[in-house]
Amino acid sequence: MNLALTEMRRSKLRFGLLAGAVSLLVFLVLLLTTLSNALVNSITGALKGVDANVLVYSANARDNLQASRLDPAVVGQVAEVPGVTAAGPVSVLTTSAALKDGTEDLQVFGFEPGQPGAPTALSEGRLPENASEVAMDGGGYAIGDTLELTAADKQATVVGLLRGAQFNASPTAYLTEDLYGQIVKATNPNVPFVPVNAVAVSVDGDSEAVVSAITAEVPGTKAYDKDDAVSLIPGVASISQTFGILVGLTFIIGIVVIGFFFLILTVQKMKTFTLLRAVGAGTGRLSAVVALQIAVVVLLASAIAVLLTLLAVRGLNSGIPVELSPVLVIGTVAAVLAFSLLAGLLSIRRISKIDPFTAAGAR
Amino acid sequence: MNENLEFVPPHPGDPGVDPASDATSHKDAILRVEDVSKIYSSGDTEVHAVSKATMAVDQGEFVALLGPSGSGKTTLISMIGGLLSPTTGTINLAGTDVAGLNKRDLTKFRAERVGFVFQAANLVPFLTARENLLYVSTLQKRISRKEAHARADQLLEELGLAPRAKNVPEQLSGGERQRVAIGRALMNDPDLILVDEPTAALDTKLGRQVVELLAREIKQRGKTGIMVTHDLRMVQYTDRVFEILDGELTHVEQPSALAH
Repeated sequence: MNLALTEMRRSKLRFGLLAGAVSLLVFLVLLLTTLSNALVNSITGALKGVDANVLVYSANARDNLQASRLDPAVVGQVAEVPGVTAAGPVSVLTTSAALKDGTEDLQVFGFEPGQPGAPTALSEGRLPENASEVAMDGGGYAIGDTLELTAADKQATVVGLLRGAQFNASPTAYLTEDLYGQIVKATNPNVPFVPVNAVAVSVDGDSEAVVSAITAEVPGTKAYDKDDAVSLIPGVASISQTFGILVGLTFIIGIVVIGFFFLILTVQKMKTFTLLRAVGAGTGRLSAVVALQIAVVVLLASAIAVLLTLLAVRGLNSGIPVELSPVLVIGTVAAVLAFSLLAGLLSIRRISKIDPFTAAGAR
Repeated sequence: MNENLEFVPPHPGDPGVDPASDATSHKDAILRVEDVSKIYSSGDTEVHAVSKATMAVDQGEFVALLGPSGSGKTTLISMIGGLLSPTTGTINLAGTDVAGLNKRDLTKFRAERVGFVFQAANLVPFLTARENLLYVSTLQKRISRKEAHARADQLLEELGLAPRAKNVPEQLSGGERQRVAIGRALMNDPDLILVDEPTAALDTKLGRQVVELLAREIKQRGKTGIMVTHDLRMVQYTDRVFEILDGELTHVEQPSALAH
């Protein structure tokens, strides 16, 4: 016979209400984190998914890919630096297109097939291999559809679909440098050459050393470890920070609610705990009652919260792809459980201070 | 409810035997309390809740510890039951030096060797009568789950509680609750049953019934019991009466000598 579970079964309303309250807080944590991740990913997804260890921008780009302009010849110079195994161009621009979902803003990401700089987040189909093909993330496309590049008056067949590879939270088309050049020339007929925005580099061994080597040896460039380049994308830090504060606060409130609730419950049950100590139940055994109840409440609340989050994510029409990650769910639940048990120490401290003698003569 | 019944020192002209000399005559006593004192310090003053108590109780005896409120009787049985450590003196229950046990062993001692019936707040409110009995059986390893279930059902039957087995304390009357507590005390087959003012929350008639039942259960099982009371009418169900006043055991008497 289990004291903790028997009590919960007999006090369904009390523990149900607590689980309900905790589930809303866990739901908020999950939803805010999911949205934050989705938002950050919609800004960084493209760069994060680039097949490269190191990215090279122009020295005066202020760490911003879109502000970076490099002569295509730099790609070859970077490839010569010791430690670099391969280098390829990365080019971005914003253009207008007649997208299937009715919008017009299209991010274009150019790369050289087979070289660093190609996207990795392919979910269906294949990457484009020539100037008449494109791979899409967003915009409502399926394989075989035709993308209308209205500004450049070009068309391309969708041969692949990507996920989590959007740039600037907009539908993004991945295409060859060849087609990219045609778009640039069609919209700006007078450009002397088609610049690249960055050089994507794959590295053999220590990328830190290669980063320094490229910056030192190729004039007018600044190299970055890819992860550093991603975190330097404008807005990422402030989005992460803002959501981080919200998530952190919600988390703390949840833990405090659990800790205080069980403390109140323990204080209310002091007479019973004292009696049980008197008739021979050890402190450890009674502490286990509280710990087990906390675990059951947290796991029940988490199950409800995951369900709510799944419904919310499905119901959300935010324009950016939102997905609930299992890693996030497991991590959040584990953290809530661990910290709730820590908060349960408040109750356990009370239990450990019980003097069983007070059971005798207590009226 | 019995508060109106003030403690009257019985037969002042005919005191019983001195407990210390009585103890020497009980050679095979299962419980031996020797020179036990409990002293509380409060600032510069020392309060002697119990001073140099010496007593011996034989296996199978049901004795009363009679005294007015504040006389130290609850403190004394709490020390015997391992709820409280004496300041000085020794307590020996069937070979176990109770005063010498550490906190963890005292908990185990209470679970396995002693059955308690307290004044009130005796039961776990969210467990049924049967579960209150079963729970204490989980505190020791001597009997199996199956045996525990059989034993709980048998005890409830004997105590006339079989129809109330699935009721929580809230749904039971005061007398029924005390009967469940008696069952709980007997559940782990202890060496010693300690009963603290079991009738405090009951009227006289119910109180008598409960004590009568308690005496019968203790006798039938050949258990040893000590009942703390300030109610002279309850001592007739016991074998001997230890009187306690201001923390000192004064006399041992036969219940008949105290009969009203």
